[in-house]
Formats: sequence, structure tokens, C-alpha cells
Amino acid sequence: MMIKEFFVSLLHYFVDITTAVLIAAAIFMTLSGKQVTGTILWQILLCGFITALPTAFFLCLDTKSVRLSRVLWCAHALMMYFMTLLLLNVFGWCRITPLSAALTLLATGFIYTFTGSVHYLVDRKHTTLMNEKLKKRYAPNAQIQKTEHQ
Amino acid sequence: MRIIIESPQPNDEDVVIVRCAVPDQRLISMLLAFQTANTELMGYQDEKIVRLNYQDVFYFEANENRVFAYCRSEVYEVKYKLYELEELYTPLDFVRCSKSLIVNMEKIESLSPLFSGKLEAHLKNNEKIVISRQYVHSLKEKLGIQEGE
Repeated sequence: MMIKEFFVSLLHYFVDITTAVLIAAAIFMTLSGKQVTGTILWQILLCGFITALPTAFFLCLDTKSVRLSRVLWCAHALMMYFMTLLLLNVFGWCRITPLSAALTLLATGFIYTFTGSVHYLVDRKHTTLMNEKLKKRYAPNAQIQKTEHQ
Repeated sequence: MRIIIESPQPNDEDVVIVRCAVPDQRLISMLLAFQTANTELMGYQDEKIVRLNYQDVFYFEANENRVFAYCRSEVYEVKYKLYELEELYTPLDFVRCSKSLIVNMEKIESLSPLFSGKLEAHLKNNEKIVISRQYVHSLKEKLGIQEGE
């Protein structure tokens, strides 16, 4: 079950992160006016996969407390930031300078907020439905007709 | 399907009559599971041994090879493994919500999402517990929510 859960999460996060990276790259290219080659698409896909791997791993950890969950998310955010910096350097997209580090932080923050918000909104929709079902199921006498024998 | 509860005549025993055109196997399985479920639960607290009503249990938690039943404000140790409790009480509105927790759905006041696919269940005694994402689908199933709904 854990392995299946891991691969399902990996697939979801790969799609989400890759979409967000594509949006970030499109904005960057439009603003900077830079021309790029087709290889960048493969690099974006690889970036999506490499960053989705630890994301799926972190999400499969079964933490009991909300606080520990938040600590894990902060650790994950930091990890994503440093991984992105490293990947940018490896692919030769930019060199590590204070400015590129600050811009990467901004871009990582955007991607993080984007993917997090999408998942949060979907989960919120689901919990609203679940809350309705819970209320209906356990509301006193909601679906049950009681009769007394005379 | 309508659910009707009729009060029996004095001295009559409780009886469940299913009136339907075609017997629903799911309903019959549920009734059989309910009939055969061993709902007797002993709780241990210091020197005390208490007979617990499963309906008073908010959740069961496994901690360091011991399993505890959390009621409104009291905590009792129970001499069962968590998987045994899951087998016993799943037909009775209890649902596994993490590796170490089984919650009584009736005691959930509301659910809210957390940033990670997990849910936070706010219980009627103002406690909060986390529902792991791998167990969210079991809760949805119990509530009759289809995937993709």
C-alpha cells in the first residue's frame, strides 16, 4: 500500500511541479526576451521528476502531529530550494550569485505556493463534501423515521 | 431506502426486519457483522478495570506496543492489538486513520484539509487528530463518496 501510495504521489507531484516550472519558465522567457532550445523541455521534465521524488517521499511519511507535519514541510521547502539552485547550475541556466539565488527563492516560492494551493483547494472541496456527509449521517433523526407502537 | 425504527411492545425482544424486493448482500453482511461483533471492551486504568461502551470511545491509539482507548476525557489501556480492534469495530463506524489510530466516525465534529493531502479531524471533545492521506479514501468510502466525486 505504501509503495502504491508513493508512486501515485510521485505521478501527481511530477505533473504539478512540471506544470508550475513551465509557467515560471514561460514568464521568465517573456520578461527576459531570451531564446531557448528544445533541450530545455527535457531539462524541465527532469527537474519535475527529480523534485517530485523527495516530495512524494515526504508525503508518504506518516506523521501524527500537525506541528511535525509543518516542520517536515519547511524542511522540504528548503530542500526544494537548494535542489533547484543545484539544477540551475548543472543545466547551465544560470550561475549561483546572490541575485540568482534571490530570484530562485522567488521562483521556488511561486512554484511551492502554486502546487500547495492547488492541492489545498482540491482537498478543501473534498472535506466540504465529507463534512456534509458526516453531518447528514449523524444528524439526530436525519434519515431515520421513528414510530411508537400503540 | 427509508430507515424506520419502531419501538417494540413491552417485553418483546429487539428485532431487525429487512423489507426489500431483492436482498442487498451488502446490507445483510453489515447486519451479520453487527450481530456477531464482539462489542465487549475492558479498559484498564491504574488499578481499575472498567467495562467500556464502544460508543463512548473517540479513538484507539497504539503507542509503544500498547493500545489505548480515548474517551471524552479518560484514557484506558485495552488488551487488543490495533488490527484486532480494526477488525472488530470497522463494521461499527470506526475507521483506520493512520498506522497507529482508529477513529470513531460518530465523534468527528468536522474535517479540515492540511497542506499535504492529510486531513485534520476535529473531534467532539475538542481534540484534533491527523488522518493520513493513505487512509482518507477509507473514510470517503465509509461516507459513501465515490472516487472522483
